[in-house]
Amino acid sequence: MNIRKNAFYKAWFKDAWPYVTGAILLSIFQIVTLATTGNPWGVSGVLAYWGAWIFELFGGSVDKWYYFASDGAQNTLNNGILQHGGSIRNIGIIIGALFSSLAACQFKIKKIKAIRQVVAAILGGLLMGYGARIGFGCNIGALYSGIASLSVSGWVYAVFLFLGAYVGSKLLVKFFM
Amino acid sequence: MAEYELDCFGEACPIPLVKAEKELEKMNVGDILIVAIDHSCAMKNVPEWARKQGHNVELDEIDDGEWEVVIEKMK
Repeated sequence: MNIRKNAFYKAWFKDAWPYVTGAILLSIFQIVTLATTGNPWGVSGVLAYWGAWIFELFGGSVDKWYYFASDGAQNTLNNGILQHGGSIRNIGIIIGALFSSLAACQFKIKKIKAIRQVVAAILGGLLMGYGARIGFGCNIGALYSGIASLSVSGWVYAVFLFLGAYVGSKLLVKFFM
Repeated sequence: MAEYELDCFGEACPIPLVKAEKELEKMNVGDILIVAIDHSCAMKNVPEWARKQGHNVELDEIDDGEWEVVIEKMK
């Protein structure tokens, strides 16, 4: 029997799941995260810790940095990545995404077509990373978890997210078309 | 009836969609446009957009993570 023709394989691994299925699963898991850890789900704050750990690997120290000054942040840094739930969740996202693209036979290492793609990726990454930290969250921690916690800040974030996306799409058409 | 090809490998959403939109404008009714993509979200939004415009659309998986969206311009 050819697995590619198997209905179960197609529904679970090959075809994209409906948006509603994804939304329901995300909601359930973010409730579980909030209920078990006491903290709302976040993604980009974790990356700041990863940056700090990498910096420490090269002999740097962030003890005096205002961002990591709290006892909680110092504890997280001292306990290491394997004791950090947020890091485990992020690693899970990466492994899960890899698994799903491999299982669907859709994994591909894409070619870089133009140097401007590299420039845009680096500039965009820096802006998003800086914005996410200065705004105390990305579209998960500040938007999704914010709105899910009935916080006004999540809605404010949403308004400016749309403004930014509008400007971004104009820039995209200008520089990439 | 002419056939046009659009190589969008290595290009992320929504660039394949915008390129297909522009290319289709220049074509005549009955012409075929083949958009080659390797970004999985383009395999959703390009066919969706083209069908909504009333064109005939077919999606072929040509290799791991590579698709061709074949659009026949209907109007």
